[in-house]
Amino acid sequence: MSFSAELLHRPGIVLPPRRGMAMPAAIIVLATLVYVAAFPLLGISLASLWNGFSQLGLILGLMLPPTAGGHFALYFDALLQTLSIALLGTLLAATFAFPLGFLAARNVVANRVVHLLSRRALDTVRSVDSLIWALIWVNVVGLGPFAGLLAIATADVGALAKLMSEAIETADRRPVEAVRSVGGSRFMEIRFGLLPQIMPIFASQLLYFFESNTRSATIIGIVGAGGIGLHLYEQIRVLEWQQASFLILMVLVTVAIIDAISQRLRAALIGRRG
Amino acid sequence: MLVIEKLTKAYGSSRALDDVSLSIVPGQFVGVIGRSGAGKSTLLRALNRLGEPTAGRIRWNDLDVTSLSGRHLRDWRRRCAMIFQQFNLVGRLDVLDNVLMGRLGHTASWRAVTRMWSREDRMLGMAALEQMGIANLAAQRADNLSGGQQQRVAICRALLQEPDIILADEPVASLDPRSSRIVMDALQRINRHYGMTVLCNLHSLDLARSYCDRLVGVAAGKLVFDGAPAALTDAVARELYGMEAADVIDTAPADAPAPEAAAALA
Repeated sequence: MSFSAELLHRPGIVLPPRRGMAMPAAIIVLATLVYVAAFPLLGISLASLWNGFSQLGLILGLMLPPTAGGHFALYFDALLQTLSIALLGTLLAATFAFPLGFLAARNVVANRVVHLLSRRALDTVRSVDSLIWALIWVNVVGLGPFAGLLAIATADVGALAKLMSEAIETADRRPVEAVRSVGGSRFMEIRFGLLPQIMPIFASQLLYFFESNTRSATIIGIVGAGGIGLHLYEQIRVLEWQQASFLILMVLVTVAIIDAISQRLRAALIGRRG
Repeated sequence: MLVIEKLTKAYGSSRALDDVSLSIVPGQFVGVIGRSGAGKSTLLRALNRLGEPTAGRIRWNDLDVTSLSGRHLRDWRRRCAMIFQQFNLVGRLDVLDNVLMGRLGHTASWRAVTRMWSREDRMLGMAALEQMGIANLAAQRADNLSGGQQQRVAICRALLQEPDIILADEPVASLDPRSSRIVMDALQRINRHYGMTVLCNLHSLDLARSYCDRLVGVAAGKLVFDGAPAALTDAVARELYGMEAADVIDTAPADAPAPEAAAALA
């Protein structure tokens, strides 16, 4: 039996569906209009950018060549401090996110109220940026790396726990059923049915968060939460562009190294089949 | 003796199991047959309470299985091992660890959690794997194995539970004909050597006829046949399978290798 010719010519089945160009064109025009209309409203003038370009070029020129200005030991020490803030902050976040992730997973905690409350709480913590947490913690524990570490941890605990709970909810439930069928307790179902599936995902997320926290830890240094960010801010403030560019390069190189290492580690964690 | 009394499982207004009563003598190899969706899985999963029946009772000797909860329910599950169509192994753990899952019901929690299985349990696990001819795979990750190998690992896991009954829910439905034979042979060996009762859901009538002592036919949730394989005439089978009858009866037994092929393999 062959299908009818009518079917062949009906758009959307064999022939590509007929789509007009009107819709995409309208979207582009509309987006442009919104953008252009916003300029006077926000007091943005292209002229200031045009005039400022020479300034940008000047700054870039002043940045060369980057130099530590004889403070390399000091800067290196601050860089290590930034790294410690990122590492300790991530680990602290992990410590809390791990149990919270299970609490927020529908297939582990059947109680709808507990599940909903923990989800909401996590969303709330997550919606506040680490920079704001840093400002808060600086007021609580004073200036320095401890405030930075706490800021990183609080900002990440929500996101990590949410990712965890999603990984738990999408985990294959067949091993869980198998553990139940051999007479394993609820705890054993989690230990052997879920954990082996979750751990590599969790560890790989942690590495990724550590990577991105190295960047965040630099930023929060600016508000006094310790590390290399403070020096960067100082050097920009006193217009020492050569040292500022040196500090930026230090951060760039560090992040690149961490990226490379963690990429290898993550690949190893996920493991290869076959 | 396993006694099932008026077992019913309802999903809304439809009944996956409808008033099924059945007694199973220890040591039997019972095949549960019927078309897909007839209620075979629902029946098996009610027995170890992975699925809760709506009404009716299940008894094992003096034990009222339907009323068990908590530790007693877990102990019952330990005593009736289940083999799944999709094997349900923990893919990221190695084969021996998967087999040792079967010891969870026998092992102190702290040992199990840390995977510090006792020497005896490990030996038991290796012995089971050797019996299934896959001891050389003990250190492999479970998800690296073929389907047939995975199902044999699952059988080892079931064996380590030291169960009274084995519930096999379509154990060969995801396997090729050769692996199907190997797995069915293994179940038969367990039944004969250890006298474990086997309840096996099978779609293939051919396999059911060649391995089971007794066949139980289920259609639309109701028990429609109970007897020796020889008593299952083509007419009864046709009634049991309806539209699918042609697939399971009229075709040449696809599961047995043709004589030439067998000779070539030998």
